[in-house]
Amino acid sequence: MAPSVDYYCPCLAASPHPPPPHLPSSSDSFHPLHNLFFCEECDAVRCNRCVMVEVSGYYCPNCLFEVPSASVRAEKNRCARNCFLCPNCRNTLSVVPSDPPNDGYDRMSPIVSTSLGEPPFFLYCNHCRWDSAQVDITFEKPTGLAAQLQKFEDSAPEALEFDRLKEHFEPFLRASSSSSAVTPSSSHHHSNPITAAASSALARDIPGVSKYNPLSRSRSGRDKSSHKADIPDYKARMEVGAAAGMGAGGGEADLEFMRHLETVAEVATVEQRWVNSWVSSLHTDDLKPLRIPLQSKKSKRCPSCRHILIKPEQKAQSVRYKIKLVAANYLPAISVSLPHARAALETMKRSLNRSAAQSEDQSPAAAALLAGKTYSFHISFTNPLYDPIQVRLKKAQAMPAPGTEGAGEKAKRPPFQVNLPSAAFPIAAFAEAWEYEDDEDMFGLDDDDDLDGLGRLQKDQRSKTRTVGVVEKRANVTVVAGEVILTKESRGNVKFNMLVSYTYRSDDPDPAEENAMGTPSRHASSKPPEMKNFSFYTVVDLGTIAPREETIHDTDM
Amino acid sequence: MDAPVYYSRAEYIETDTGNKVSRRATIAGPQNIILGGKTVIASGAIIRGDLRRTGPGHAVVISLGRYCLIGEGCVMRPPYKTYRGNFNYYPMKIGDHVHVGSGSIVEAATIGNHVEIGKNCIIGKFTIIKDCAKIADNTVIPPNTVVPALALFAGSPGRFVEDLPESTQEMVEAHTKGFYTRFQPATTER
Repeated sequence: MAPSVDYYCPCLAASPHPPPPHLPSSSDSFHPLHNLFFCEECDAVRCNRCVMVEVSGYYCPNCLFEVPSASVRAEKNRCARNCFLCPNCRNTLSVVPSDPPNDGYDRMSPIVSTSLGEPPFFLYCNHCRWDSAQVDITFEKPTGLAAQLQKFEDSAPEALEFDRLKEHFEPFLRASSSSSAVTPSSSHHHSNPITAAASSALARDIPGVSKYNPLSRSRSGRDKSSHKADIPDYKARMEVGAAAGMGAGGGEADLEFMRHLETVAEVATVEQRWVNSWVSSLHTDDLKPLRIPLQSKKSKRCPSCRHILIKPEQKAQSVRYKIKLVAANYLPAISVSLPHARAALETMKRSLNRSAAQSEDQSPAAAALLAGKTYSFHISFTNPLYDPIQVRLKKAQAMPAPGTEGAGEKAKRPPFQVNLPSAAFPIAAFAEAWEYEDDEDMFGLDDDDDLDGLGRLQKDQRSKTRTVGVVEKRANVTVVAGEVILTKESRGNVKFNMLVSYTYRSDDPDPAEENAMGTPSRHASSKPPEMKNFSFYTVVDLGTIAPREETIHDTDM
Repeated sequence: MDAPVYYSRAEYIETDTGNKVSRRATIAGPQNIILGGKTVIASGAIIRGDLRRTGPGHAVVISLGRYCLIGEGCVMRPPYKTYRGNFNYYPMKIGDHVHVGSGSIVEAATIGNHVEIGKNCIIGKFTIIKDCAKIADNTVIPPNTVVPALALFAGSPGRFVEDLPESTQEMVEAHTKGFYTRFQPATTER
């Protein structure tokens, strides 16, 4: 696997220091840069785990219709137009006429015209060839299918039961909406009057399931008694046992069905039946088309200051954002590479004289990390800010410093040491993209030059000293080299935490001063711009150390 | 930081607008194909510009935007259907910054901007892929599917897996531009 760098979001831990990277749990705290947000108010990194998410709009993923939030609840969070999912494979269904123009041929062809043909129409799956005629669902006209299906759905026993439940709890919801406003924190606990009412009514009457009483775990017993008194008993429309009579979940009937099975496909899989709110039949032929669940656009807020970090545009399929504070615009982008692996890849490509893309994925044995050797690695920093920054690297304290390490006993010895450049290094400011846009050819030449530079550096390294320091500077990218020394018995991944701190010029000083900078006045030169400092943790993963025996074996072959 | 991708200069034809088309690609009906510029068509790709709409006049069959990549061995074929008893092909429109991985077969009607399609995918007829969507490797998208913006689809049949991060557009743009920059003729061989 290619070396990678992930960034730390401190939301899971109380301390600002990241967990040691060799713990499997630490991966939860580290994220790729492009998944992170940055709150300007708090001056902090935020991740998808800690931001507050709000729904800013609903849309159907198939017809892309933006559903007003008022009708979302009425339509049970599903698309109320012509969109259906195949109950068999979850593909979207298309409407086809029952009388195809070319008899026999059209059934085979997945492409069917929707505006020609004769009723009745039915839904057809292009992927698994399921069609709704199998379950006796046909339509008079090819439009407004959901409305045509509505009467079936509304008369289904589970829908009726749900409506009845809703009716039953309506007064409590209304009554409790005023009281719950007083104690909003109670929603986290089971003592919320709505859940209390629901659980006391629903937790009864389930044969074989011991009564679940969340209230016994909640902090106050008083709530329980007071609320329970308010709620009259719910009388179910249908007794639980009666469901079996409708061919759903019946013991005897199912047994009989199973006995005469011919193929496994006759039984609907758990996944196919999972979404039903009611115990449904085991038969595959009883599966009904599903209305497509809606999806939502989300806006995201900072958890501590509640400032908006992400606010999408209203239009469902727009990929633009009104507000977008992503970490990639604030923190330098870091990428790591192993020059020796790259060189190996390069030589292999040239020697084989093969098209480059074909061999891109194959990592030759020469590119592996071998125990007991020392490797240099390159870290490239890309500055997204319009001002130059100064970066300083530091390895997190989790591993002992190289100097103190020698005396320690073997068991506690870290499997590798990492040397990073200790001096601060500059990265030039990011220039607008259009400055580069038309000079792509020049860029290409640049790359060539860089390559030569790297080659020379490697030769130097092989011959005598191993360099730790700045390797290369171009545009807003600076590449520094570090080295990792692997001990003989090292195993596993070469992973370490790295603290990156950078100094940047603050936006705060007034623009008047900036203008003054241009003129050679005494005032401007005497007063340096205000500098700010920001640091963040990253985890650098250089890859897996190849066990020695195996690599020898590999090279033999 | 990424290594350049070298190709042999003899294999590729470079146009004035920076398109690089492999001589080993099969381009049928080139007069019906529009390339936006800086688009790479790798060797072994098949682009069927000859499957045009019946009827007189000039017809654009396949249009590709800027910074696209049609990977090795891809097949780009306009979708067809029989509408009102007439068999016809329909044009395929592909936006900017679209990468199609090697070995994929695409019969989509519309592909938006900043779309990534993995290797060995099958994109069914009349599929609509919106901006910044991503199709994972080895995905089969059945005909007439709609892939919404910023969605990752995977599996067979292709299903919604997750929302992509908000910065997908910038990442894909950087990746496609970077790829074009890295895609250079090998100078050392001659």
